[in-house]
Amino acid sequence: MEIRVRGKPAVKREEARVLIMRVGGTNCDKETQRAFQDLGAQAHVVHINQIVKKKHMISECDALVFPGGFSYGDYVRAGAIWAKWIVAKLGNEIKRFLGEGKPILGICNGFQVLVEMGVLPAFHGISEFPEAALATNSPPGYNCRWVYIRHENRGNCVFTQHIDRNAVLRIPVAHSEGRFIFPKEKENACLEKLLEGDQLVFRYCSQNGEPAEGAYPVNPNGSFYDIAGICNPEGTVLGLMPHPERAFYWWQLPDWTRKMVLPQYGDGKQIFEGMLRYLEKKF
Amino acid sequence: MMFKARVEVSLKKGHTDPEGETTAKLLRELGYMVETVGVSKVFTVTLKANSKAEAENLVEEMCRRLLANPTKDDYSYTVEEVK
Amino acid sequence: MPRSTKSEKLYIRRNVPFELYEINILNAGDAELQTISRELGIGLSLDEMKVVQQHYRKLKRNPTDVELQTIGQTWSEHCFHKTFKGKIVFEDEEIESLFKTYIFRATKELEPEWCFSVFEDNAGIVLFDENHGVAVKVETHNHPSAIEPFGGAATGVGGVIRDILGVWADPIACTDVLCFGPLDFPHERLPPGVKHPRYVFRGVIAGIGCYGNNMGIPTVSGAIRFDESYTGNVVVYCGCVGMLPLDKFRRQARKGDVIVLAGGKTGRDGIHGVTFASAELTEKSEEVSRPAVQIANPIEEEKLKRAILRIRDAELASAITDLGGGGISCAVGETAHRFGLGATVELDKVPLKYAGLAPWEIYVSESQERMLLAVPRQNLNAVLQVFEEEDVEASAIGVYTDDGVIRVYYRGETVAEIDVPFLFAPPRVRRKAFWKPPRIEEPQFPEPRDLASTLMELLGSPNIASRENVIRTYDHEVKGNTVLKPLHGELAGPSDAAVIKPLDESWKGIAISCGINPNYGKIDAYWMAASAIDEAIRNNVAVGGKRIALLDNFTWGNPEKPDRLGSLVRACQACYDFAKAFETPFISGKDSLYNESPLGPVTPTLLITAIGIVEDVRSVVSMDVKTPNDLLYVVGETFHELGGSEYYALKGFVGSSVPKVNASKAKQTMRSMGEAIENGLVKACHDISEGGLAVALAEMAFTGGYGVEISLEKVPVRGLTRNDFILFSESNSRFIVEVSEKSREEFERLMRGTVCGCVGKVTRTSSFCVYGLEGEALIDVSIDVLRRRWKSGLGGSQL
Repeated sequence: MEIRVRGKPAVKREEARVLIMRVGGTNCDKETQRAFQDLGAQAHVVHINQIVKKKHMISECDALVFPGGFSYGDYVRAGAIWAKWIVAKLGNEIKRFLGEGKPILGICNGFQVLVEMGVLPAFHGISEFPEAALATNSPPGYNCRWVYIRHENRGNCVFTQHIDRNAVLRIPVAHSEGRFIFPKEKENACLEKLLEGDQLVFRYCSQNGEPAEGAYPVNPNGSFYDIAGICNPEGTVLGLMPHPERAFYWWQLPDWTRKMVLPQYGDGKQIFEGMLRYLEKKF
Repeated sequence: MMFKARVEVSLKKGHTDPEGETTAKLLRELGYMVETVGVSKVFTVTLKANSKAEAENLVEEMCRRLLANPTKDDYSYTVEEVK
Repeated sequence: MPRSTKSEKLYIRRNVPFELYEINILNAGDAELQTISRELGIGLSLDEMKVVQQHYRKLKRNPTDVELQTIGQTWSEHCFHKTFKGKIVFEDEEIESLFKTYIFRATKELEPEWCFSVFEDNAGIVLFDENHGVAVKVETHNHPSAIEPFGGAATGVGGVIRDILGVWADPIACTDVLCFGPLDFPHERLPPGVKHPRYVFRGVIAGIGCYGNNMGIPTVSGAIRFDESYTGNVVVYCGCVGMLPLDKFRRQARKGDVIVLAGGKTGRDGIHGVTFASAELTEKSEEVSRPAVQIANPIEEEKLKRAILRIRDAELASAITDLGGGGISCAVGETAHRFGLGATVELDKVPLKYAGLAPWEIYVSESQERMLLAVPRQNLNAVLQVFEEEDVEASAIGVYTDDGVIRVYYRGETVAEIDVPFLFAPPRVRRKAFWKPPRIEEPQFPEPRDLASTLMELLGSPNIASRENVIRTYDHEVKGNTVLKPLHGELAGPSDAAVIKPLDESWKGIAISCGINPNYGKIDAYWMAASAIDEAIRNNVAVGGKRIALLDNFTWGNPEKPDRLGSLVRACQACYDFAKAFETPFISGKDSLYNESPLGPVTPTLLITAIGIVEDVRSVVSMDVKTPNDLLYVVGETFHELGGSEYYALKGFVGSSVPKVNASKAKQTMRSMGEAIENGLVKACHDISEGGLAVALAEMAFTGGYGVEISLEKVPVRGLTRNDFILFSESNSRFIVEVSEKSREEFERLMRGTVCGCVGKVTRTSSFCVYGLEGEALIDVSIDVLRRRWKSGLGGSQL
């Protein structure tokens, strides 16, 4: 289904309502909420049961976040159960939300959910079946480490328009199913489409910004083309495996004790800042 | 009628199977002449349906909607009536 | 119900439509009492069975299986800690109770006003600030992990997290200390029924990672040790730290309060986990005990956690406890006992996984992810609604009464009626203990020529090599509050302690560290315990931790064997002496005894966990060298103390010169270090432990990415004339400290009265340079080479 984006009004930052969804097994909601609140927005963590029971409305918020965790234990496949559940119960609301040009952010498990929902990459609108997958890491196993990602978007992604192209961000990953892949037989065609539509947002790279080219641990999970994060064709949905909420404050950095002059924030802040700046604009 | 389905979801050919590769390596370390190991997931589903054909249709739908991701997964299943 | 044809007359089935037996103990003789204990799997000794018999003779009736099972669970070593509470005859002296005489006495005599609740609840609680408490608990889960490594370790983590929830605290960090047999243990030497250490290692680590990661609690601290004696009996210590707002702490169940059981459904899993943990592992354990291993479901506990914290914040309940060993029977019993109450429980109300459980199975099942709340009746609906909103099953299963009797019903039938005071007054055990120093000689060998290769070997040895491959499988960043991480910096160096910043609105932090030296216990458990305490404290001090509290976790062999118990007494004596001297009270602890397998007992293993407060996390110090030309100091004195050292182990010796602790000097050292850190004079600090000065300095250099240059002549020593001994001695209470030239004077002034020597400096090169006692160039090796060896020690990227 094609998404047609209608005009989006400007929202003042202090009035911006960010809805962080949770379900059993979600566990990065609090630090995600903290990041948005620190930047001056309103952020609410709401259990999906409350949304389904209409005690909270998706339509009343300005941005939606699927945070990290292990929704429903990541049984079947990471993110799959939550994704199918949302499509079944809230599919129309989500489409309407996207149609209004409102942004959705998926971090780690949230990224897995968005891919399983067909909201990413959504080459031709929301897809009925997933067009990509976040497969088990290669090498296998849970991996918690700081990585570098290079910003590759040319301006389509509304979350990263203020970040320089080729800028390198330092943000940690922590997952066991993060290997981004396309169907093997359509790998190159899909990549072309991703690049053409300016949907590639982040790639794993070295400290100096050279692409990992699959080399572990620079690429921590064996992702195809070192892909760490992508957006939809409209640029309003961003999914990424690294956790920007864990690289928000300077004291979260792994070697802040070495720095003579401390930055106020870590690189992760830029992702949240980007979303809020987008909300502040009118389209 | 009650049916029991056995659904196997495995990786499509061509995709890396890190779990399988690691397991194969370990088995070789233990002295077995292992060529390859593939890891797949098996779901056993019991369900009610009016006929075997209907049961099969339902299981097919479950695979497509949830149990497999077509990007990377193949699936196969068998359905049997339980008496 | 286990039955043998011979003993059928011992079990009388009551005429009810479910399985319920009366146990004919009134007329049972000694042999029959033992048969009953064995066949019911309740693990009671003959003496204990006789006390039970007397009790029921007074009541003039036989107990039901539910009652006897309840007594068995409550009186088990695991639940009641018979050995620690019992009398011990040791070298002509009668010790009233190890716990009271040594562990708790230190706390009581110190009586710090910042101890909020110690040795009372599931976890110890100390003050964090005016409004918040820090709750800490460390558990052992050895036996289950030996049988089923993944499930055993995972449920160990789940269990200790529930201990924290059981004092209304929000779990914010996990710690895990693991002891395995050597990973290269020869397969052919494994006795039947014993799993290979490599299999156990993978399973345990996966289990620990699984639970913490799934629940979103960072695993931030720990240790891994290897020793042959752990081959048949893995040691798994799981710890958890939590935060609670003190004004929400509720601990007063009253008559009429409803008993609410919440969380996972109840099944047969884990039945008899308790009695099983209190018996030695045998070849048959795997077969016989498999059902005792519980199945872990971390997502269930995550939901339970959310619900409980909401109930806490809304102040809806009057008391809470976790369900661990002994299941509902122990949780209800302990709550009733604690508040001087009785209870009625309706087992029909307990949600089951499947039908067909006998009442006693429901009552003692150890199914995971369950908590028990006492809820004033007027709040019941509100509590049940919270659980429903969080997708957690909860049921009112009974009510507390005021008559000191627990009555258990099932389908209208009274299946148990137990007197609470009797249940909590088991006969005290009286055990014999003796200790004599082992006859181990100090080895004689010449100083090796090539100490660079010795250092390389040590860095790659199992007890010293990098744990990065393990730590990366644990999420140590979730919650985003890990200020000092277990893997420090770009080059992933080994931090001495982890630091958590638990509150958004405050810069205050919690430092979590540990000390464990099982090798020293082979020489003398007293100095092992002293060393573990010193190590835990100095690790904490090294990052800036102050006002330190301790937790003790003993893993020992069969306490009914006097030699095992003798070394346990020695260790407890040191716990009192040094906790008192350092003014670091014990706030919680746990013992796991009977750790024996066909390969023999585990080497006595004491884990000390230290929890310190960091006044301002911005002043936290990490262990990596920072700036070329900065000065390097060794603080503390180095002695000929290589007994039990990694250096001797490398040479194939144990030795007798075990590291000791001079309490008053050590305390002075810790105090000066604390002050130096607080005043911002310390740029890097690393504790000296396994592998001695050389290993600690190498770690500092290759984590910082700069070379170092030191001279052994300048290291403060006493009675040492060999380079290798100075480099690798494991004397306690020592640090290596980096200080900038401009802070030199102030640092040295602060260190007056503390043994301290400026031994060299950080260099702009990448070489690790050591000059010997004669001024000769002793070691000159690249830090990258050292680091690579250290990193590859545990087998590269593949676990």
